[in-house]
Amino acid sequence: MWSKDYIGGVFFIVLGVLIWVGTSQLPVLPGGHPGPSLFPRVLGTLFIFFSLIVILEGWRKSKMPPPTPIETAEELREGNVIIIAEKNHFNSVLVIILIAAFIAAAKYLGFIITGGAVLFILMWKLQVKPIKAFIISALVICFIYSVFAKILRVPLPQGFLWW
Amino acid sequence: MDAVLQGLGMLFAPQNFLTIVVCSLYGLFVGSIPGLSATLAASLLVPFTFFMEPLAALCSIVSMSAMAIFAGDIPAALIRIPGTPSSAAYTQDSFALTKQGKAQMVLGTDIIFSAIGGLMGAIVLMTSAPLLAEVAMKFSTFEYFWLAALGLSATVMVSAGSQAKGAIAMCLGLFLSTIGVDITLGCPRFTFGNVDLLNGISFIPAMIGVFGISEVMRNVSDRQMDFAIAKVKTKGIFTGVGKLIKKYQWNMWRSGIIGTIIGVLPGAGADIAAWIAYAASKRASKEKELYGKGSIEAIVDSGTANNACLAGDWVPALVFGIPGDSITAVVIGVLFMKGLRPGPMIFEQQPEILYGVYFAFILANLLMVPFGWLAVKTSSQMLRVPKKILIPIIMMFAITGAFAINNDVFDIITLGVLGIIGYFMERNDYPVAPIVLGLVLGPILEQNFMMSMIKTDWNLTLFFVRPISAILGGATVLMWGFPFFMAFLENTKKKK
Repeated sequence: MWSKDYIGGVFFIVLGVLIWVGTSQLPVLPGGHPGPSLFPRVLGTLFIFFSLIVILEGWRKSKMPPPTPIETAEELREGNVIIIAEKNHFNSVLVIILIAAFIAAAKYLGFIITGGAVLFILMWKLQVKPIKAFIISALVICFIYSVFAKILRVPLPQGFLWW
Repeated sequence: MDAVLQGLGMLFAPQNFLTIVVCSLYGLFVGSIPGLSATLAASLLVPFTFFMEPLAALCSIVSMSAMAIFAGDIPAALIRIPGTPSSAAYTQDSFALTKQGKAQMVLGTDIIFSAIGGLMGAIVLMTSAPLLAEVAMKFSTFEYFWLAALGLSATVMVSAGSQAKGAIAMCLGLFLSTIGVDITLGCPRFTFGNVDLLNGISFIPAMIGVFGISEVMRNVSDRQMDFAIAKVKTKGIFTGVGKLIKKYQWNMWRSGIIGTIIGVLPGAGADIAAWIAYAASKRASKEKELYGKGSIEAIVDSGTANNACLAGDWVPALVFGIPGDSITAVVIGVLFMKGLRPGPMIFEQQPEILYGVYFAFILANLLMVPFGWLAVKTSSQMLRVPKKILIPIIMMFAITGAFAINNDVFDIITLGVLGIIGYFMERNDYPVAPIVLGLVLGPILEQNFMMSMIKTDWNLTLFFVRPISAILGGATVLMWGFPFFMAFLENTKKKK
């Protein structure tokens, strides 16, 4: 947790510096007053200021004794809920990959095929049985298409099959 | 009076009434599923509001948010997990009472006191907003600048965890609002030659990304949760609630006022209202020892406050165009989308729409009683909806909704990028609501600042000359100094 503060703090300091660099070419108002660069530069300065505070907070936390760690796959029984604390970060990355794939493929394959594939892949990865995932994906994508394209008349990407 | 009757008539037009009913059910469903928030529900609803009439669009968000905030109490009581953050304050007490066999009493109390709190907030909204609008008619660029600054400062002050991280999130939102063409000289900023960025970052896809896609990414990284849910009988759910109303009527009034005041404060939402009401209730209670172990008084207070806050949040949003919380940030986006500019002029030019919204709050809170009963009756089924099917569906709605605003693939890119930003921010304990508030208030802040500076020939002192401007400016500066003052006090206490 503490190294996250350092990394985050440095990231935003760099962003603040880049904002200053990025606004160096912007013109000034008549009379030499700052124009388009003023607001971003104030923000850049604030990024640097608050990031230093975050780094300081992280340093202070590092001086305190660390909390008792929870086992990564420990079962926690809270009330009537069984929570398995293990995380699957690849699934989070998969969401972005699927969105990127949708952007790239939808104009060629169309909304129905691309959207259906995206739904199916994510459900399958989340351990929904393949046949169930296929049926639900097909029904849901047809529902979404009907609502947006037919009722709301949104021109969804059609692709070579005009779907 | 004409506007009042017109607003009432418009509200009960079939399409508007049906919208309220459907969105109420939608809010109940989303609010009762842990991991899905009212803000997520609002962001997913926005693309549909694009195709609605203005009043229907606003009423959809009113009814959805009222029901969602209440519905979060259901899983809080049944499985000790709040459905929305606004129910977190009294989850412990709700579940403790459920374990004592009093689930029906808890849920009946949640329904009735949420409805009462919501009605109190609605009355304050109806009476105070027009009065504040008259004050706002006197506002100039100086006042609007300070109001935006005050709203952003308040957002940082009330953000959970590190205020420095809240400030960074706010600055990030403000920075994103600078992308595009600047207002003074019309030159491109941070567009990197990309034509799509010349129009700036589109607010709706950005908001769906920050709240929706980041939530999807978070949910898919969790393993499944299995619930063993007790089935709650709905017969007799309201038995004894009348006696509670009589016994805790002062609590009810106090918490209604707390909730509404917190709502009027820009940047503070229903979760803050619930926690503050809980703390005030415990301080004043004669049964302090029950808090955390099953206090119905705590549930009365917090449940009233969080729903009262909702209508209060609309006061700064409608009167000044400053969001009271993240849901009203969405509302401001919807208002702009409908060609309605929030501010005092809307009270003059289209008062019937505002009266329609006020009555929508009243109707939604009255409908909370029968719908809440229905939600409790079907709670065990709703909580069994598998997330591994629900979350991909939410993702697909988010993608399609983002595209539908401008029919532009670039908005899906915005959705994805902001989703990644929101996800990493929250993983590193940075709050994401200030990003959205910064994105909404950034143009107001910069525009009013630059116009003020240009017309006064860059004389900064004139920001404190006008009386209202001086008060708002003073309050903002005090707020900036508050954390340092508190740190100084703490250090002094430690030395003693």
